[in-house]
Amino acid sequence: MGIYIQTVWLGGLLIECVILVRSVLGRSLANYPFFYLYVASVFAASMALYVIAIVSPSTHGLYWPKQYVTLFLGCGVIFEVSRHVFARRVTLDRVARWTMLVTFGAIFLSVAVQAFFLPHWNVTTNTADLERDLRIAQAIGLMTILLLTGYYGIGIGKNIKGMILGFGIYVGASVFSLTLRLFVGPRFNPVFGVIQNTAYLVALSIWMVALWSYEAEPTEKPPSISEGEYQLLAGRTQEILGSINDHLDRTVPR
Amino acid sequence: MTQLIISLLVGVALLVFLYFFVRRSKPSAEGSAQQLREARQTLDSLQFGLLPNDLVHRIFAREDLEYVLSNAPADVQSLFLSERKDIALGWVRRVRGAILELMRFHRGHARLYAQLSLATETRLALNFASLLALCRFLQIAVYLRGPYAAPGMVRTVAATAGRVCNISEQSLQFLKVKQLDPLNNTPSSHGASV
Repeated sequence: MGIYIQTVWLGGLLIECVILVRSVLGRSLANYPFFYLYVASVFAASMALYVIAIVSPSTHGLYWPKQYVTLFLGCGVIFEVSRHVFARRVTLDRVARWTMLVTFGAIFLSVAVQAFFLPHWNVTTNTADLERDLRIAQAIGLMTILLLTGYYGIGIGKNIKGMILGFGIYVGASVFSLTLRLFVGPRFNPVFGVIQNTAYLVALSIWMVALWSYEAEPTEKPPSISEGEYQLLAGRTQEILGSINDHLDRTVPR
Repeated sequence: MTQLIISLLVGVALLVFLYFFVRRSKPSAEGSAQQLREARQTLDSLQFGLLPNDLVHRIFAREDLEYVLSNAPADVQSLFLSERKDIALGWVRRVRGAILELMRFHRGHARLYAQLSLATETRLALNFASLLALCRFLQIAVYLRGPYAAPGMVRTVAATAGRVCNISEQSLQFLKVKQLDPLNNTPSSHGASV
């Protein structure tokens, strides 16, 4: 373990500790249970791996199981983000959840097909492959949320914004590093470690700042004009759209 | 190799999304009095600015070109083509601007409603996207080859705009004014008929 990675690892543990303490002091633990479960699990696993690395230098057997556990909890974080962002928008929440479920389903189906039809293919020897695919699924889930919130101009609070940004940076860096690692081979391992650990430290720093205190999601202000005026506008909208259509019918022969 | 490209594309796409997410400005409070006044102005400009029938016919009228080509000297012909090109480009810009306004208005109001129709929203988004892309292509075609380069595209723009208006009309059903009961609205029901 290089001195840089060791420093980043220790720094990460410290920040995770701060985030967990602030979750209690800032009263945000109950609002984002999956997120804090994710951070706590990473903290516990990283701490255990660090101690084991000191006692016995061979920690490779434990690295991937830890990655899988945190990966699945990470999916819970994306569902939690979707639940908060689309709290009052049932349809959009459903779209984001279904996109992720379908992507995950497709990945697991592909794993099952490969395991069944390719005799030399084994999930335990292709861990990086599977992790990359699952990270891609997380990336697609995050992009769906970003696309929908951007398209409809939905406001996002400081806490969730930080969660999305930090998680997005880590997932993006993981997709890049895992892909390059698979194609470049063992030569890429030192760079892989640096990218993964640095990206995670950046994500943790963003989370620490964004989740320092609890901030509720912004709510849309109800219209400040009278119901009658609003309905007048609505009626006019329909009328004008209809008349535009008439214009088009008369303008261009179809 | 395909796997490599797809994975890297997903990574790049996520980073691009995050970049725009960070740069995103605070959403405006839709439904405020000022917003609704602006929306009304937008709708008015849509009515009179999107596709006035005589204007479109005039801009892309082939008989004008034929008349100028057969009766006017070369310098007048080139002046005519240049001016018609500017007008056509201006028209496409106006249509594009109006479609963007309609899109902004629709999205701003649709986001306030919990139960959106996914099918309608998807159709609208695709129509808006195709219409905006068509306007862009039309702009390029007119810019490169003049106002009479793509009459088919003009028709397609108009037809797609019509489709967008149709779907918008359906999706704006939630804003529909309650129809007044004709019996309650007639003078006779109040006993004031002559």
